[in-house]
Amino acid sequence: MTLQILLAISAILFAFGLAATLSRSNAIMILIGIELMLGAANLNFVAFWRFSENPAAMTGVLFAIFSIAVAAAEAAVGLAIIILVHRRIKSVEADDASNLKG
Amino acid sequence: MTCEFLKACSADPMKFLGEWFVLLPALVLLMAAGAAVVMRNLIHAALCLTLSFIALGIVFIALGAEFVGFVQLLVYVGAVAMVIVFAILLTKPERLTKSVSAFSGLGPAGGAAVGFVVLAALLGFIFTSPLAKKPLPTPASAPVADIGQALMGDYVVALIAIGVLLTAALVGAAVIAMEDKP
Repeated sequence: MTLQILLAISAILFAFGLAATLSRSNAIMILIGIELMLGAANLNFVAFWRFSENPAAMTGVLFAIFSIAVAAAEAAVGLAIIILVHRRIKSVEADDASNLKG
Repeated sequence: MTCEFLKACSADPMKFLGEWFVLLPALVLLMAAGAAVVMRNLIHAALCLTLSFIALGIVFIALGAEFVGFVQLLVYVGAVAMVIVFAILLTKPERLTKSVSAFSGLGPAGGAAVGFVVLAALLGFIFTSPLAKKPLPTPASAPVADIGQALMGDYVVALIAIGVLLTAALVGAAVIAMEDKP
């Protein structure tokens, strides 16, 4: 087990999330992609903490906890916006919310 | 005997189950995440996402960050996944059965291409970096008591800031999603 394996797993997870965010049309699927990318970042924090010189400082663990809290807030606001958009334009497709498009 | 085994496992899981204690849930994590990305049915995608969250929590626990693992399970599996399922059910239940174009923007090929390029760049950096070749150091652990001391000591400003952020975000989410008064 080396740090490389964990970083490679995290990179693959990030690529999945990026592909979902860029290619899916449903706003909820875009949010799912963002959650996958945040999970990859958290995995990086924990992996670097596990392989750090001084794990007793717990920097990576604390950063991951704060990151999870921010991700929870982001998910709540994002899904509230999706519900509001659905109420206004009766659709959750990202392409349909194009009122401001020139 | 079982109790001793569990005690030893919690002290250093890798010694007993080897690398597979981390690699097996990581494999499940990647497969569930890949399935969540390509699923056409939103509910199926949300369930695959939940499975990937569970696997990620197990990876954290296996790496020795038990508290982060349990927080991951509680917050993501308990809250975020449920909120996503609620949002899917509140918006367009009829779309679940109807076959619609699931892709837009760059399309499946474009999204996969960008993801592949980014993945190749990341893997190139990861496998050429000298930092990443370090062997596994001595077992690390983050006891909950120490995390609590750190949060109430050095990181107390960040803790209060995250509390304010969460309160503001959740109140804001409730206000945004509230019905408009006629």
